[in-house]
Amino acid sequence: MALTGVEIFKLLPKTNCKKCGYPTCLAFAMKLAQGQVTIDSCPDIPEDIKQKLAETSAPPVKPIVFGVGDRAVKLGEETVLFRHEKKFVNPCVFALEIKDTLAESDIQRRIEEVLNSEIERVGQKLRIDGIALTNDSHDGGRFDAAAKIIAAKAPYVPVIFCTDNPVNAETAVKLFPDKRPIIYGANSENYESMANTAKTCKAILGVAVSSDFGRSSGGLDELATLTEKIKALGVTDIVIDSGAKKAKDILRDNTFIRRAAVKKNFKPLGYPVITFAQREDSLIEALITALGVAKYSSIIVLSSIEKWKNLALFTLRQNLYTDPQVPMQVKQNIYKIGEPTSDSPLFITTNFSLTYFIVSGEIENSKVPSYIAVMDCEGLSVLTAWAAGKFTAAKIAHFIKESGIENEVKHREIIIPGYVAILSGAIEEKLEGWKVTVGPREANGIPAFLRSRAA
Amino acid sequence: MLIIGEKLSIMAKTVREAMMNKDKGPIQDIATTQQKAGAGMIDANIGPAEDGGESLMEWMVSTIQEVVHLPVCLDTTNYNAVEAGLKIHNNEWGRPMINSTSNDPERFPMLELAAKYNAKIIGLTVGKGGLPADAEERTAIAAEIMGRAMEYGVPLENLYLDPLVLQIATSQDHALKVIKAIKMFQELNDPAMKTVVGLSNVSNGCPKQLRPILNNYFFSLLMYEGLTAVIADPHEITTTVKTINVILGKTLYAHSYLEM
Amino acid sequence: MAFTPSKETYTGKVNSVTIGIDESTVTFGGEHVLPFHTFEGVVPHRPVIAYEIQDVPPDDWPENVQKPFETVSHDPVTWAKFCQDVLKAKIIALRLKGTHPDSKNRLPEDAAKTVKEVLSAINVPVIILGSNHTEKDASVLVAAAEAAKNKNCIIGKAQEANYKTIAAAAMANNHKLIAMSELDVNLCKQLNILITQLGFDREKLIIDPMCSALGYGLEYTYSVMERIRFAALMQNDLSMQAPMVGDIGLYVWKVKETQASETDIPQWGSIEERGITWEAVTAIALLFAGAELLIMRHPRAVDAVEKVIDEFVEG
Repeated sequence: MALTGVEIFKLLPKTNCKKCGYPTCLAFAMKLAQGQVTIDSCPDIPEDIKQKLAETSAPPVKPIVFGVGDRAVKLGEETVLFRHEKKFVNPCVFALEIKDTLAESDIQRRIEEVLNSEIERVGQKLRIDGIALTNDSHDGGRFDAAAKIIAAKAPYVPVIFCTDNPVNAETAVKLFPDKRPIIYGANSENYESMANTAKTCKAILGVAVSSDFGRSSGGLDELATLTEKIKALGVTDIVIDSGAKKAKDILRDNTFIRRAAVKKNFKPLGYPVITFAQREDSLIEALITALGVAKYSSIIVLSSIEKWKNLALFTLRQNLYTDPQVPMQVKQNIYKIGEPTSDSPLFITTNFSLTYFIVSGEIENSKVPSYIAVMDCEGLSVLTAWAAGKFTAAKIAHFIKESGIENEVKHREIIIPGYVAILSGAIEEKLEGWKVTVGPREANGIPAFLRSRAA
Repeated sequence: MLIIGEKLSIMAKTVREAMMNKDKGPIQDIATTQQKAGAGMIDANIGPAEDGGESLMEWMVSTIQEVVHLPVCLDTTNYNAVEAGLKIHNNEWGRPMINSTSNDPERFPMLELAAKYNAKIIGLTVGKGGLPADAEERTAIAAEIMGRAMEYGVPLENLYLDPLVLQIATSQDHALKVIKAIKMFQELNDPAMKTVVGLSNVSNGCPKQLRPILNNYFFSLLMYEGLTAVIADPHEITTTVKTINVILGKTLYAHSYLEM
Repeated sequence: MAFTPSKETYTGKVNSVTIGIDESTVTFGGEHVLPFHTFEGVVPHRPVIAYEIQDVPPDDWPENVQKPFETVSHDPVTWAKFCQDVLKAKIIALRLKGTHPDSKNRLPEDAAKTVKEVLSAINVPVIILGSNHTEKDASVLVAAAEAAKNKNCIIGKAQEANYKTIAAAAMANNHKLIAMSELDVNLCKQLNILITQLGFDREKLIIDPMCSALGYGLEYTYSVMERIRFAALMQNDLSMQAPMVGDIGLYVWKVKETQASETDIPQWGSIEERGITWEAVTAIALLFAGAELLIMRHPRAVDAVEKVIDEFVEG
């Protein structure tokens, strides 16, 4: 069981030297207990205590960095089964499968697709994170040739080398020195040599057992045995695959794995999960991938990455990996509902996304084209934002002046939420020439409010 | 248990009007009744008070202390208003309290005031952007605030850690997290850190008849964990304070203990 | 190292709900475990998908989802028959969209007439939905419930502002009822309690926690659904054990991603595939969160979701 912050504090030097970046050892200990900093930030802890702390503070699913540099992605570190309990930590990684049996031009084209997959959505850059090169040919030469193309064309994209042949793995992975790739394909026959290769090449090792339909846990039992043997050989950066392919089996195995890690702190399965979601039908593949996103896969391998499919999958991943505690925020902006003209009404509200969704939905329902001025209040709802001093008359006035809305509308009337009716006088004072109208307290009053104005 | 009377808040219509019209009557009536009901300090919540905050706070402090001999809890995000209140505060009746600092850099200057005027100060365990997820995160923030308080020269016995009570109607799981945080805060120092909550927020948004029930049961559990101070309606909780003190063996039982 | 998977013990179960009459009933819900957790308990029924049709032509639907219905959607009866006979719909969801004051403002008696015509033309069970105008729905759904008397339909949606009249009409005419609250687990429970306090049988309720589309608050619906299932299964909360509905199509086919052309936003790819995927991904995510009944529009999205459901329930 992890130590509490106070227990950790007792083991620290208590010098309050601030070298860790925190004002006191106590503050640092609390952060450590939270897993928000690593023990290495303290230069003065004796090695034996460091060891002890590292063991007790390790998260239930091992954190692993896949790849290097700007495109490196973090895996694992998850602590819960359901996102309403606490944030899902590291968004799952999407990788495109490239078969070494493909013609060189096709390999080139697929790498190109990965490199061009980036899309921006609500301020985040989203993309296909990696490539999974599969040794379908079982031929070392072809595998190596394909790996060379990737190394030349996409040297910074994280790569998974999928082969159960340790020699082929080693040849390919040597083209990626210090790039922290994954060698996927350790099984009960080859694990010793695969572990050796992973160790010498500083690669992450993917461990797989064959799918075991019929029995509910045979595969996971074997998987747990295998990871322990590999750990004994000195390789601890591991990703695991139960071999599940069908939706039913993916859900079952991923649930058992996450439960074992999170609820029982069962280390032999406390590793990120890799799922192979390839299907003939791209839409079905998207839905199987959605299962992986929602239910505990850390890496998902796809057979195709059409733009429409990427957009949907990126969005789902973004949605489910948002922090349920930090209200999702809408960007500060003037939003148009319908096609407003210079006479259309102007509403203002805060940037708590639920507030925005509901207000914009009600305005849509009312069929009156309008502007909504959404103001950055750190995602707080209207009343809370006001009380916290973030949705005040001066700040509203400043925002409206800066927003440029004065060039868009002819009128000078702003509709404020009924909850902050108290602000109307002060806004009129600070926003010269503007008239403040107090709108309804709840968004569901908006259609009636707009109708009564029209009448 | 230090009870900080919460009724003088700009959120209440009568108080808001009295503040706007500088009408002393209602303010002094409310202050007096709160004192009679057991308040040991009076909260003066003037809101963000962007305009005229200084004179409003001065007026509130002097209006309150004219009739009750209690310290005032200066409740606003406006730095200058707090300083104005501290300057005029009559410390003969106890030292004032600043409500509040937090882990948001915008609120750090409040610590400067606390140090300069030797005032008590509430440390709200929230950072910039986002609410704390659980008791552990609240405690981590508390430790940071403590560190910062020491940097600014605020003695830890003047710091009251506030775990931020959330509404049960929308954030049910936080009720238990707050109770746990009260326990954990105390362990952060020896002697134990002081703690405070804004109690009635737990029942904010609930039907009127449920509010005292939720407030009081929640308060009982917080008292059990060692809460030091509470911002609340003194009338509503005084029976709980007396009864829990009896149950916890902090006051001697007698049939008439409630009348004492 | 020996590994024994830990199975969850559940103290409650989801009610099973049967709709329709005679030979063509459909049952959903009834599971004792989290969605598709067949590996640790009973899941007696698969989730079902209803095809959405409406009483007025779908002019407000994007072109790509109008297209599959272009020869039939001029008339609700032909449309319903097409869904039943050609698309093999298991349930038809008839939305009385035309009754909305901003649409055709059709009268309750006209809506009732449409309901009767659709019901007599098809055998599969029917969900009768209002136009989501709380005042108008209160009169439209009462007329519709009477018109469908004893046909064991689902009437929806009862909300805080109008539940009394709608629940009474559903009760008097032997229907099931959708209770909708707005993305709030506590308000959801409250509404269910209020409706059962009227004497409405809690086993005839269906919960709509309010849908949201992928990218537009889906995570709120997702987590509210998960929390409702928790209350039902782990806390044995009787007021939260109704099956849940996801009104997918309505929310999906109004967002930008299902409408913006490829010429306008080339980096988003094919508009047709994108719209279908948007609907299918939203639907599957809500199935993972706990929905047992979905209301959808595009036949290809429905087919894809059905295929994945097959993978969960077969073998």
